Amino acid sequence: MPTIDVSHKDLCGLIGRKLSIEELRDDVMFAKTELDKVEGDVLKLDIKDTNRPDLWSAEGVAREIKARYSPGLPKYEVKKSDYVVNVDKSVEKVRPFTTCAVVKGLKIDENMLSQMIQLQEKVAGTFGSNRREVAIGVYDVGQLQFPITFKSVKDKDISFVPLEFKEKLHPKEILEKHPKGKEFGHLLKEDFPIFIDSVGEVLSMPPIINSDFSGKITEKTTDVFIECSGFDLRFLNTAINVLVAALAERGGTIYSVKVNYQKTSEVTPNLTPKKYTINVDSVNKMLGLTLKTEEILVLLKKSLYDAKQKGKKIDVLYPAYRQDIMHEDDVIEDVIISYGFNDIEPEELKTITKGGISKEIHIIDKLTEIMIGAGFQEIMSYTLTNVNDLYARMNTDGEAVEIEKPMSANWSVFRTSLIPGLMDIFSKNRHVEYPQSVFEIGNVVLADNSRETKARDVQKLAAACTGNVSYETISQRLDAFFRNIGIDYYLKKGRHDSFIEGRTAEIFVGKTSLGFIGEIHPSVLNSWDLENPVVAFEIDLEFIFKK
Amino acid sequence: MYVLTEEGKKYLKKGLPEKRLIELIRDGPVEMKEATQKLGKEFSIALQWCKKYDCVEVVHGKLTLTKEPKEIEDQQNGLKDVSDDKETSIVETLISRKLVKKGGEDLLKRAEKYKGQEVTSLNTDLIKSGVWKDVKLRPYNVESPGKKMHIGKRHPYNAFLGDVRKKLVELGFQEMIGPTIELEFWNFDALYQPQNHPSRDWTQTYSLKSPKNGDLPGGALLDNVKAAHENGWTTGSIGWGYKWSPEKASRLMPRAHGTATSARTLTNCKIPGRYFSIARCYRPDVIDATHGVEFNQTEGIVVDETLNFRSLLGILKKFAIEFAGAEKVKFFPDYYPFTEPSVQMSAKHPELGWVEFCGAGVFRKELTQPLGVDVPVIAWGLGIDRLAMFKLGIKDIRDLFSQNLDLLRKQVVV
Repeated sequence: MPTIDVSHKDLCGLIGRKLSIEELRDDVMFAKTELDKVEGDVLKLDIKDTNRPDLWSAEGVAREIKARYSPGLPKYEVKKSDYVVNVDKSVEKVRPFTTCAVVKGLKIDENMLSQMIQLQEKVAGTFGSNRREVAIGVYDVGQLQFPITFKSVKDKDISFVPLEFKEKLHPKEILEKHPKGKEFGHLLKEDFPIFIDSVGEVLSMPPIINSDFSGKITEKTTDVFIECSGFDLRFLNTAINVLVAALAERGGTIYSVKVNYQKTSEVTPNLTPKKYTINVDSVNKMLGLTLKTEEILVLLKKSLYDAKQKGKKIDVLYPAYRQDIMHEDDVIEDVIISYGFNDIEPEELKTITKGGISKEIHIIDKLTEIMIGAGFQEIMSYTLTNVNDLYARMNTDGEAVEIEKPMSANWSVFRTSLIPGLMDIFSKNRHVEYPQSVFEIGNVVLADNSRETKARDVQKLAAACTGNVSYETISQRLDAFFRNIGIDYYLKKGRHDSFIEGRTAEIFVGKTSLGFIGEIHPSVLNSWDLENPVVAFEIDLEFIFKK
Repeated sequence: MYVLTEEGKKYLKKGLPEKRLIELIRDGPVEMKEATQKLGKEFSIALQWCKKYDCVEVVHGKLTLTKEPKEIEDQQNGLKDVSDDKETSIVETLISRKLVKKGGEDLLKRAEKYKGQEVTSLNTDLIKSGVWKDVKLRPYNVESPGKKMHIGKRHPYNAFLGDVRKKLVELGFQEMIGPTIELEFWNFDALYQPQNHPSRDWTQTYSLKSPKNGDLPGGALLDNVKAAHENGWTTGSIGWGYKWSPEKASRLMPRAHGTATSARTLTNCKIPGRYFSIARCYRPDVIDATHGVEFNQTEGIVVDETLNFRSLLGILKKFAIEFAGAEKVKFFPDYYPFTEPSVQMSAKHPELGWVEFCGAGVFRKELTQPLGVDVPVIAWGLGIDRLAMFKLGIKDIRDLFSQNLDLLRKQVVV
């Protein structure tokens, strides 16, 4: 969810009305936005729609609110020009496409400049997947000599002064030294795409950095050249349209740019409104109301659509900067937002269904009751852990399902046993009154190649006691557990590296081994910094679920 | 004091064996065989005593009564009342026959030493002997609080989730359970989340080290989902318009949201049906006071022919009343890639004030139709952790999974 800062005064200026904070709080809903915080003149806005970059600026939010007062489709004129960008074959495998535009007659002030930068960052960052899909450059037209070429070079072929730097650097040096190079350098390897003008002045190296020479916009700039580069023209067209429409809201005049590829050429930006057709019945079915067609037409216009009735259907035109309309439901949602979510009377469900908890939880609840009756405190642990706690400190070894690139090495594998979690509890509560008895019922994740997900969840029950305890302490409780669930079990001398040899038993029901019981090995106690004996058992609950 | 032995109690009820033998032959001689059958093992006891009192003769193999001795009647009566302390000859005989024994004597003696004294603990001797009437029971300091003891309890967060579960069941929801490790297919593709969507980036979701890929479901389901992404299939949508990759869909990940389980349920659900899950979910968030290592998501679906946007709001309002005790709610437009329209609800909690409480929406047709559902489906998720934190008096979300035994022991249950 993009979060943007806008100036209250600037926003009202763009809307053309002075609106109080409270009025705005309601009105920003029409822009799928929530007013999160007010800090002086700065409003922090949460824009809910991650698929509507046109909303991610003061200009975009203002446009939606303005339509409440002056409804209808916004019109953007694109003037023809001689500006040309030639796309060289060398970028085909590096960053093959670009969409460009020139906007003139801008009166850039502080607010406008901060909105331009913010929108650029949000479009490239959020919509453009951190510049991978969409990288954006904005330049002062006055510094450029058209035509411009978009081509790919090798490291030694070129050097230029990147934005905010003083010295000329080769591409690899930029990736090493410039903050933006460090941040986005992983997107490039041995080939470096650059925009370069007809006198050999480098504009930028997307998706990393502009040049200091032409890629700097100040309050003195009036005319800008904008390029978006990436891999998918659908994203790139949306991005350029969003950017130029925002500048047009500030009074800029849009000029087209001809982009020449090897065999084809495109004229961008294309701001011709897009068409869609919806059914009146679908609107009412979704809404649960019976709106008249005329009412729907009004609601659509207040959402920046042009709408015309055609029998039981409505033909709509909508701005070219929108790329989110795939289905009539997308238009219908705008009708509902336009109607006002809080003006719709909620309705109770008409049908009746029978509720229930899962069979496993039903049984787990009963097992929990027995364990609590036996005096154990229930514990709830994370299912993620690390191999040190899970195996090394338990004196065991094993294969756990492991996360790629974990946020922290502490939480990098899924637990395969619950006992380490109980040891962790004892270890963290050494100062707390003894004896301590704890248990957990929860799932472990085991690798399982026979499953579609190559893993399966297994519910387990583990219990442990510490203090003045012996093997008998835990065997008595295990016995009580089984007697109270009516299962005949038996214990058989066993071996488990976490337990003391000769004080370890395997727990069986019939021929099925359910787990282990025993006294924890002193070496394990040492590794958890424990000073009192610990006795524990762990059993697999799948057998009990099946019973 | 005398008491009846077990045998004595038996004869009090049935009559002494010799008494029963006399009754049997009173009306005329009876075959030895018949008497043996009637009295069983006790026949020999009966015959022994009758011979002692010389009241029975054996004539031609038949038992014949010669007189009815008073002693037998006395003994029978003697069994009726042995509490009398008098040591009569009858009692002596009964004692010798092991029908009566001395009893309670030590107890009485033990109890008597307390007579007229002040005693601390009321014991069995005092209670049974009746000596409690003659002692003074020392008063305790009843106002001092009880000594601390630690009992077994549920983990407070789990207990809270149990209450949530109960409430959802009351509201007609059936619990679903899904796997922790999921295919991206169920976590994203089946939910119509495009493969190049930013939320599928590694910074937003985890993946697994090895193996990286699982097995995709086959058949029409896969073809339909693929077509929905690429061109909208037959849903009336244009789709996302990109080349859908089965390889990407088959990648494995720890479930990032419970909605993955809802997607699985849709392929095999009842109509009308209501489902919920409380699912442990995993996302690569920086761990802080509002982001735990993992979190529980309470979410679900309603599948029903009669659903529309108004019923969506109705469901959410009901949740606000049931879970947050809120009467006032406010709805905001929201966005999820898999719902349209989407809504967020804030509820006015009596103590917390306005809280963002619920995100919901109508599942897109590009999602439901490929999974074989042709009726509207509402999906919802509850911000239950915020309420849990409030209820349990917790400021840091990491404390929901508290490991502090001291706090767990102190935590109140109701």
